[in-house]
Amino acid sequence: MKKYQLGEFEEIVMLTIAILYKEAYGLAIKNEIESRLKRNVSMGAMHTALVRLEDKGYIRSHDGEPTEERMGRPKKYFQITALGKKAMEYSRETRNALWGAIPDVSLNVKFS
Amino acid sequence: MKINPPQRALQFLRWFCREDYLEEIEGDLIEVFEIEVQQSSKRAKWKFAWSVIKYFRPEFIKSFKHKEYNAYGMYKSYFKIGWRNLAKNKGYSLINIGGLAIGLAACMLIGLYVHHELSYDQFNEKADRIYRADMEIKFGDNHMNIAVTNPTFGETALSDFAQIEQTTRLRFYGGFLVKKGDVNIREGNVAWADSTLFDVFTLPVIAGNPKTALTEPNSIVLTESVARKYFDKTDVVGQTLTINNTETRKITAVIKDIPSNAHFHFTSFIPNIEDKSASQDIWAGYQNWNTYLLLKPGVDPNTMTTELNRMLDRHLEPDLKKFVNKSLAEFNNQGDFFKVSLTKLTDIHLHSDKPGELYANGNMEYIYIFSVIAVFILFIAIINFMNLATARSANRAREVGVRKVMGSLRHNLIHQFLTESFLTCLFAMLLSVGITYLSLPLFNELTGKSFDFSFLGSGSVIFLMIGLTLVVGLLSGSYPAFYLSAFQPVAVLRGSKGYSKKSVFRNTLVAFQFSASILLIAGTLIVFLQMEYIRSKDLGYSRAQKLIINNIDQLGQQLEPFKNNLTQVAGVEGLSVTGFLPVNFNRSVNAFFPSPTMDINTAISIQSWIVDENYLPTMDMKVVAGRNFHKGKADTLSIILNEAAAKFLGWGDVLEHKLYRLTEKETSPIAEYNVIGIVKDFHFSSLREQVKPLAFLYGEDRGGLTVKVNSTDMASVINNIEAQWKSISPGFPFEYSFMDQDFENLYKSERQIGNLITIFASLSIFISCLGLFGLATYVTEQRTKEIGIRKVLGASVAGITTLLSKDFLKIVLIAIVIATPVAYYLTYQWLQGFVYRISLQWWVFVGAGLIALGIALFTISFQAIKAALANPVKSLRSE
Repeated sequence: MKKYQLGEFEEIVMLTIAILYKEAYGLAIKNEIESRLKRNVSMGAMHTALVRLEDKGYIRSHDGEPTEERMGRPKKYFQITALGKKAMEYSRETRNALWGAIPDVSLNVKFS
Repeated sequence: MKINPPQRALQFLRWFCREDYLEEIEGDLIEVFEIEVQQSSKRAKWKFAWSVIKYFRPEFIKSFKHKEYNAYGMYKSYFKIGWRNLAKNKGYSLINIGGLAIGLAACMLIGLYVHHELSYDQFNEKADRIYRADMEIKFGDNHMNIAVTNPTFGETALSDFAQIEQTTRLRFYGGFLVKKGDVNIREGNVAWADSTLFDVFTLPVIAGNPKTALTEPNSIVLTESVARKYFDKTDVVGQTLTINNTETRKITAVIKDIPSNAHFHFTSFIPNIEDKSASQDIWAGYQNWNTYLLLKPGVDPNTMTTELNRMLDRHLEPDLKKFVNKSLAEFNNQGDFFKVSLTKLTDIHLHSDKPGELYANGNMEYIYIFSVIAVFILFIAIINFMNLATARSANRAREVGVRKVMGSLRHNLIHQFLTESFLTCLFAMLLSVGITYLSLPLFNELTGKSFDFSFLGSGSVIFLMIGLTLVVGLLSGSYPAFYLSAFQPVAVLRGSKGYSKKSVFRNTLVAFQFSASILLIAGTLIVFLQMEYIRSKDLGYSRAQKLIINNIDQLGQQLEPFKNNLTQVAGVEGLSVTGFLPVNFNRSVNAFFPSPTMDINTAISIQSWIVDENYLPTMDMKVVAGRNFHKGKADTLSIILNEAAAKFLGWGDVLEHKLYRLTEKETSPIAEYNVIGIVKDFHFSSLREQVKPLAFLYGEDRGGLTVKVNSTDMASVINNIEAQWKSISPGFPFEYSFMDQDFENLYKSERQIGNLITIFASLSIFISCLGLFGLATYVTEQRTKEIGIRKVLGASVAGITTLLSKDFLKIVLIAIVIATPVAYYLTYQWLQGFVYRISLQWWVFVGAGLIALGIALFTISFQAIKAALANPVKSLRSE
């Protein structure tokens, strides 16, 4: 059953939005992911993810005040919606359930 | 210094990016740029540009579907408003759509006609390489341009020149009777043809071998429909037909019916080899064959003509020595010559009208006339549309003002008006297709052609119609669209701009409309008067109550008994046996000499008709000097001339003289004729030509029998004659025609053209009046209040009517001034084509002007009087 669709990168973006809370706009999200996960994020890819998430209804956006450093363009802030929160929880639960189902032997053997 | 992000990249981003993301993306990119630029501005710019390019992906590109949706909504609104406007002003819509539809239908019909005329002989695959050899002969006082050559011309040219691929000849045979069961049926369109016929012309063979079809004597090639007529099938090669009740012919091939746009309409072909004269190597005479040459690709017809003339001269030399005892140089020195010229196959129908044509051809003149009429009609209809739309601009101006205030751009308004005019045109086009469909049978009857509605199926026609709709829509909608959309909203809404009473442009258009109409009226009147003149002209013989009976040659020995029986029939006043009639094409030309020395310089070519002693009384021709033939052997060497021949010979007293002629007989090669009478000139060819010299010779020609009837009950006379025919020659069809009908047929094309011009001229006038009516309605509506006030102040009905009509009548008067000289010039040119013609009378043009003026006055006054009679209380009450 495809109850909630959430890709790996999309999940990371959502988690980052949650971390940034009130300060989650495009560039801030990108910088946060880059500094925390030490991976390079292209602007285009991130925007694509944001567009998709908004389309799915997991996040919503509102325009902030125009700022000097953006030459008068307003920042667009993102917020997680209730549906988004459910999707994140679902994703986490399924992972946990899967983790819980792994027999100890399996991983031990692998690491041995 | 502040460094800005690269503008070009930014423009590109703005161009492709969705509006709802643009601001955010731009902001992010600029923020990054601001940080980066502190380290290296060049690097920052590159990075910025690269990032922009990376954004060029489906998620961020503007959705074109999205954009279309918007425009679609707008167009939907245009259509809705357009439709509502049409429905709101039913009267105007009717005038617009109806006028345009009639105009388009007329154009379509004319287009069909013109296209068909222009397509003659184009179906031949080698049409661009086929030429007909024509001859120009000057021989003493005889000068003729003929469409025929001597028998061996083509054959010799083929063997002499490598540039010629093939040659073929055609000669009209006439008709014969074909037996089907017990009855004989007349086949009228039979031709002598060479076996190479199928190499030159594209005449697809259904059955049989085209190579050998015309190589054997007594063979015959039939067209599909003739084969079906006698056998009900086309697979009939090897079967025989009984011709004229005696001989049999073997069918060697069946070909497809010859297309209606071929310059000949034969239904059967018989081989030339049966005719001995077809192989005689004579060059100075026997010009009887239409000779076609198929040139090899790339051969220049002009150089070919020069070569052919050299060949002709070479072969002429011995002939001239033999017949007139002169060398070619001597012959040419006295101003005489034989010349050959080449006529392109596709030019034959419209550009060639020479003696010796296989069938009567068309005339390019009429193609021009019709095309001009079509364009006129279309323009008149378009002008109506433009005029009504601009006149109505007062109402629309307010709408335009409000739309502009609400944010409509000029191009939106242009689109809206164009949509409306396209919509109108589309309705008009659909309606015109309906009109064309309904009027096609009538049109076929008028033109004598057989168009069917299938032309609509071809892609090019549909394409043309869509194109025409768009062009007409654009033309008729452009003026209102650009004129109205340019209004300043403030001025319009304040009421200071909009409809102006005096519109020079509109008046010019109306003047043009009426000029065109007057031109057509005058042209129609002239054509009609000329036709009437021909019909009522004293032709020198009487064609009323004359019955012409065919197939006389089949009676054999029974002819005398039949003639005797006929004289017993009540109502029969006289009869004459001969095929030479003023109303048919049976003609024979001979050279006569005024002295037995046979000096070629004095030779005259005279129509020589073989007739019997009853001919002149039967035809009601007048003998002005001398006497008619007497029955019996005494007059076999007598001759009766017409006045033209007598005048040509220039003798004081013609009756004293003798004429000489060469005969085929070896023993007495010169025949001497006594001139015994002069007959009053009568017209035996088109009135476009002068009456030519003609002579009657005494003898029997069984080409037909003319019966002079004097009875009020023609039907019973015909029945009695038919009964006599049946009793004497069972099995042969009784065929007759009336001489006056045959005469009408001679002028059929002229009459058809006259009728067509009348119809289309009336249509154009009708459409003009529709427009004028609409305009008059509008103007009176505009001036309702003014009229009301004038009436209150004591203006009379006549005064108001004059006031309203004056402006329009001025325009019509200007149109008369413009149109009259043009009409005079054009009709003068047309009449030059007739030797016997009416003189142009001033009253025709005044009449045309008056008719136009009258019609215009009638149209306008209808509205003007209505307005003038209206109670002023009604018009002044509102507001």
